[in-house]
Amino acid sequence: MQQLIQLTVDGIAVIRLQGDLDHHAANRIREDISQAIYQGSVHAIVWNLGDLQFMDSAGIGLILGRMRDLAPINGQTVILNPSATMQKIFQFSGLSKYIWQGTEDEVIRTLGGILNG
Amino acid sequence: MDNEMTLSFLAVSENEALARMAMTSFMTVLDPTIEELSEVKTVISEAVTNAIIHGYEENRTGIVTVYATRVDREVTVTISDQGCGIEDVQQAMEPLYTTKQQMDRSGMGFTIMESFTDQLSVKSERGKGTTVTFKKQFQPVGSPFAAR
Repeated sequence: MQQLIQLTVDGIAVIRLQGDLDHHAANRIREDISQAIYQGSVHAIVWNLGDLQFMDSAGIGLILGRMRDLAPINGQTVILNPSATMQKIFQFSGLSKYIWQGTEDEVIRTLGGILNG
Repeated sequence: MDNEMTLSFLAVSENEALARMAMTSFMTVLDPTIEELSEVKTVISEAVTNAIIHGYEENRTGIVTVYATRVDREVTVTISDQGCGIEDVQQAMEPLYTTKQQMDRSGMGFTIMESFTDQLSVKSERGKGTTVTFKKQFQPVGSPFAAR
């Protein structure tokens, strides 16, 4: 499991996940992601799952947990490039509405507009 | 029966990947679609994770056993632990129900397991352990619309 966290000047955190996201991996990366969020006054998180090979409900827990972190500041959550199986898991969990189409750059531009809007 | 496998391992989280890998190999002969494969892997991962964090409360001493059989294109898998058991199975299976929200658990495990299998049963007894059994029928090779 690998993750790459990039922060934009607008306070958007782009998190690219690679490999398998299960309970074991989620426990290892949660701390890193939370620290990045608290350090950099993050207003939105973009989860790019394009390189993620596998995700179970630990992924739902990880994303829901960070949504709770962002809730006090009305932060935005966007999910990009989930596989067909991941889309079903998001659907069961009521998170489908956070799946956006488009590239990272397009999403960052749109989010920047919303956040500064 | 065409094949049979028993895999027992210590209830530590790094073995969640081990269980998924073993099941992936067990299913290879069926030439499953990408979705069939990832759905069964998800079910295995959910059941094994439950055994580790709920059955044994992550005490790193218990044993989880995955027993799989295959008859033609139907796979039956049993995931069992001898942990603390589930007080109320029906409640545990409700979507979004979790006893560990502070640990970022979503409460979606059983919902996912039910959705991705053809048949699922859960037997549990307090202090004795939990057994999850599921069946999955794989589509015939060469069926239309199947991405492999």
